[in-house]
Order: sequence, then structure tokens, then C-alpha cells
Amino acid sequence: MPIHEKNLVDKDRLLVKEEAKLDGLDVSGQWSTFIEQRILGDYSTDVLDAVASTPAGKTIVNCWQCGTCTAGCCMHTDFGLREFNPRYFIYLAQKGAEDELKKYAPVIWRCVTCNKCVERCPKGVRVEEVVHSIEGYMRSKGWMGDTPASRWDEAFVKNTLQTGVLDELALTRSYVSREKLAEFNNRFMLRMALKLVRTGRIRTGPLRHRVKGWEKVRDVAKEILEGGGEG
Amino acid sequence: MSSPRILVVGGGPAGLSAAWDLAEAGANVVLVEEEGFLGGTPKKLHYSLIAPDLKPVQEVLDPLVRRVEQSGVEVMLNSEVASFKGSGDGFHVEVRRKGGSLESHVFDSVIAATGFAHWDPHKKYEYGYGVYPDVLDFKDFERMLSEDNLRRPSNGETPKRIAWLLCVGSRDKQVGKFYCCRMGCVVSIKQAMEVRQKHPEIDTYVYYMDIRTYGFWEDKVYWRSMEEFNVKFVRGRIGSINRGEDGRLVAMAEDTILQRPTEVPFDMLVLATGMEASRGTVEFAKLAGLELEEHGFIKPLQSDSLPVHTTVEGIFVAGTATGPKAIPDSVSEGSAAAMKALNFARRKAVAERQQTR
Ligand code: SF4
Ligand code: SF4
Ligand code: SF4
Repeated sequence: MPIHEKNLVDKDRLLVKEEAKLDGLDVSGQWSTFIEQRILGDYSTDVLDAVASTPAGKTIVNCWQCGTCTAGCCMHTDFGLREFNPRYFIYLAQKGAEDELKKYAPVIWRCVTCNKCVERCPKGVRVEEVVHSIEGYMRSKGWMGDTPASRWDEAFVKNTLQTGVLDELALTRSYVSREKLAEFNNRFMLRMALKLVRTGRIRTGPLRHRVKGWEKVRDVAKEILEGGGEG
Repeated sequence: MSSPRILVVGGGPAGLSAAWDLAEAGANVVLVEEEGFLGGTPKKLHYSLIAPDLKPVQEVLDPLVRRVEQSGVEVMLNSEVASFKGSGDGFHVEVRRKGGSLESHVFDSVIAATGFAHWDPHKKYEYGYGVYPDVLDFKDFERMLSEDNLRRPSNGETPKRIAWLLCVGSRDKQVGKFYCCRMGCVVSIKQAMEVRQKHPEIDTYVYYMDIRTYGFWEDKVYWRSMEEFNVKFVRGRIGSINRGEDGRLVAMAEDTILQRPTEVPFDMLVLATGMEASRGTVEFAKLAGLELEEHGFIKPLQSDSLPVHTTVEGIFVAGTATGPKAIPDSVSEGSAAAMKALNFARRKAVAERQQTR
């Protein structure tokens, strides 16, 4: 049926069939518009159970929704990304509101790991880790692919697994070339690298630090990582 | 000087505590209890575990009862105060035993420990108490837990999901109850923990406006319920309960954090029924001429500095007769009232002696 004042309804809840025929009568377009209901018909423990079972996500059950984390979250406040709200992500996961959670796939990876939230949460929620665990759940569901942040994590792990100590220069180089970050052009990179090497703050290539007997540790680390020990 | 004679009305936690202290101090104590046993409402309604230590109710009450029984208190069970008159030489009281016989006594001072009753949830018709068998109140559910018989009354099956609704008959202008029951939060959360401890497969949700687990109940009960037992909390007051097609209950509420209307199915709903003055409290107040305060409880002479004095000299009050209270608070007030009642009786004896000299 035609619906007036569509502007009052969330766009994603308006369902319009472009072509519809009823008993030979053309009822396309606005004649077959429906509004999806807003009522939530159930709570589910699926997300919570999945998140709480990861080492990173187990403190999710502690959260009582006070908002202290979001109040200091630089993404939410300073950067001003309204949609990035760790408190709300946690609630959606706690109540299994998957439809709503899905909508945040474009932003949930934006955490900059400043850990202010972890320092401030009165209930001991490891907020930053929990948010990452929720993100992991969303990825496992296929709601989001890899993101600049997940590619960074991947490059980071790969780099660290080599000798047990991070080679920052190699990491930045591989990441920058992969992401094609215009700001990090060759000149900029070279100047930064020279400064860092000269001041001994970075060791790369043959000078790179190593962990003794790393090969043995690496196998264990790999096993853990592959076993889904997210975080 | 002969021992003071003191009447304690009510054999719950407050009355037991008062009677024991008075007997220890050498008074002649008569304890009048309308039921056929001591222990009061927690015993009568078969409460299960008592917060915060989750101790079975008998472990809390039995020592109180035993002390009174062994201390020489004259316990009158199945009895009630039939008439009450205060005059210069003391309080003239007639006690009626069930079955008829009246006994007359004279007391120097009196303690009212006449207690509370749970609010009757029938009055909140939109929750369907008495209509849907799976909607229970505190007393129904405590009994179920203490008998370890957790089943849906409608079909005898073990529930998969249980909801609690806080503040039923409390903080509600619609039913004329403006005060907080002080117990509803902690008891509900405790019940949810008890369920999860015995049946980890049952999912539990508490619908709340505020969580008022004051003092040490915060971490020992509220936090623990979330962190150890994964009890879930929904901020919003259920508007009504409907019956779903499959015979389950459907809770119509707003999830105020999601800002969405919700219709969530549950197998059982427990209503956190509030506290109001018991019939015994109201009747005794009337007999003894005690003033009631605006919520219908006995009015303390000064709610801040004289909390166990009533508006009548020589009559004292302890426990839930003056408002919602936890068992330890009632026990403390029993002791406080005992001290005041004893002092009053002693002063009176001294005054009498000086007059007759
Ligand atoms: S600060 Fe902690 S308890 Fe508060 S909303 Fe954030 S995660 Fe939850
Ligand atoms: S660690 Fe992430 S979620 Fe926490 S405050 Fe920083 S940006 Fe926000
Ligand atoms: S103690 Fe809790 S359930 Fe009882 S009235 Fe207060 S807030 Fe409501």
C-alpha cells in the first residue's frame, strides 16, 4: 500500500517491490511498500557466548553499560566518529542484536588501541580487547572483510614472527607499499628512516634484534595464533 | 526490685532478637506469635538462600529461635493481642490463644515486631499474575527454589529462560506505592544466581529501572551475578505480559539502551513483589494507638535519631514494622528496641519506688 510521510521511517526499513502484480493488477512501486517492524523479537546469546569464549573477550560479561569507556574513547570523542561507540558494541553483542551490530562493520575496526577505555572501566572490562573480539566475530560471520587495521595486524604478526622482535622499518615499508599511502612517499620514508637509524632508535635488516632460540617459540606462537586465540 | 515485664509482639528476626536480649538482661519476657512456629515471614514463606552469603534460611533463623527457646522467654504461639490498654501502672494486655482462651497480663513496656507482607501482584493485572501460571511472585519462587523444584507450573517442564521484573508494587504511583522495597533487587539477582548455579543451561534476564543493591550486596551479589554467573540485565520496565502461540510468556518492554520495543519470549517470569506493612502491624498499631507514617508503616518518634521509639511512650518498634528492611537490620533493631524497652521499664520502677516511699 502507499505509505505517506516515508521520511519518518528509517530508510533501511522501507521495503519497496519495484515490480509486483496481484491478480493481474500492477501493484509495483509505491503500491507495494512495506515497513519492516522495529520490534525486537528475541534476545540471543550467540554473540555473547562466542565472544566470551575468546581470551580477549571474556570480560564482556562484566559490562554494565555505564559509558565511561565511550566518554574517553578518542575515536568517539576527539576524532568525533559518532558510530564508534565501544559501550554500544558491547551491548549489541551481549543481547545478540545481530541485525544492528552488522550495521557497524564499516566502523568497528577503527579502534586505535589507546587503551584509555581499559584504564578507566570501573568493572574491569578489557574494552579494547573485547571490541576486537566482537570485530573478530563479525568477520567470522562474513559481515566484514579485511580492513586497513586487520591488514596492519597481519603484517605486524608476520614481521614479529620472523625473529621474535619487531623490525619497525620493514613493517612500515611493507604496509605502506601495500596500502599505497600517499602521505608516506619515498622522500618522507627515507628521511624518517635515516633519522631513526642514526639515533639508534630503530634496527633493521642485518642489524635487527633477535630472540635467542626463537625458532622453538615461534612454533608454539604459530600454533596458538592458528588455534583462534584471537588477541 | 522485681524483674521488668516486657511484651514482644511478633516472632520474626526482630522479635526473636529483642526477646533474647531482654531475657539475657534478666527481664520477664512474653513473646506473642500468631503462627504456630517462630521465625516469621522468612520461615513462613519458605525462603531459600539469604543474601549476601547465600546461606540457607534455616542456618540464619534456627540459631535465633534456639537462643530464644533456651533463654526462658515465655513463648505464646498461635496467639494474638486481643485488647490493649495503657494506664499509669503499665500496659494491660489480653492475649487470645487460637481456640479461644484469653489471658490477661500487665507489662512495663512493649516491643512491636509485627513485620511486613509481600505486596499482592494480582493488583498489577497487566503482568497476568493469577492468569498465566508461569508468572510467579517472590514467595512462589522462593518456595520453588527451597524445594529444589524448578518447573514451569503450566506444563511441568524445566524452563529454558527466566525473566525477573523488579519494582512490582514499589516505586509506582499507579498502585500508590511510592517507596523502594530495598530487597527486590538483591533477592531477584540472588534468585537468578541460584538458578544459574544449579542449572547453568537456563538463561536469566533481569528487567530493571535501577539496580539498588546497596552496601556489600553490590559486589557480593550484583557483580558476582554478572561476572561469575552471566546473569543478564535489561534496562526497562516490562509494560505487559502476553501469551505467545507456543504457550510461553512474551514480555513487552522497551530496551532503553537499544531504544527499541521488544517482545521477548520467556518460560517463566518472577515478579519482585515489594513490601508493605503486614495486617498484624496495622492491627496492632490500631489497638495500641500508634501513629502510622505516610506509607502505612508504624511511625518512629524520630526517623533519624529515635528510630525504635513509637509515638506512644513505653511502646517500641523493631524490624519491618517501620519499613522495608533486611534480616541483619531487623536483628540489630531488635537489640536496640530491647535496650530502650528495658531502660523505660527500669526508669518506671525507680519512679514508682520513689512515689511509694
Ligand atoms: S566503561 Fe566498562 S562497564 Fe562501563 S560501559 Fe564501558 S566497558 Fe562497560
Ligand atoms: S582503545 Fe580503542 S576503544 Fe578504547 S578508548 Fe582507545 S580507541 Fe576507544
Ligand atoms: S529494591 Fe530494587 S526492586 Fe525493590 S523497589 Fe527498590 S529498585 Fe525496585
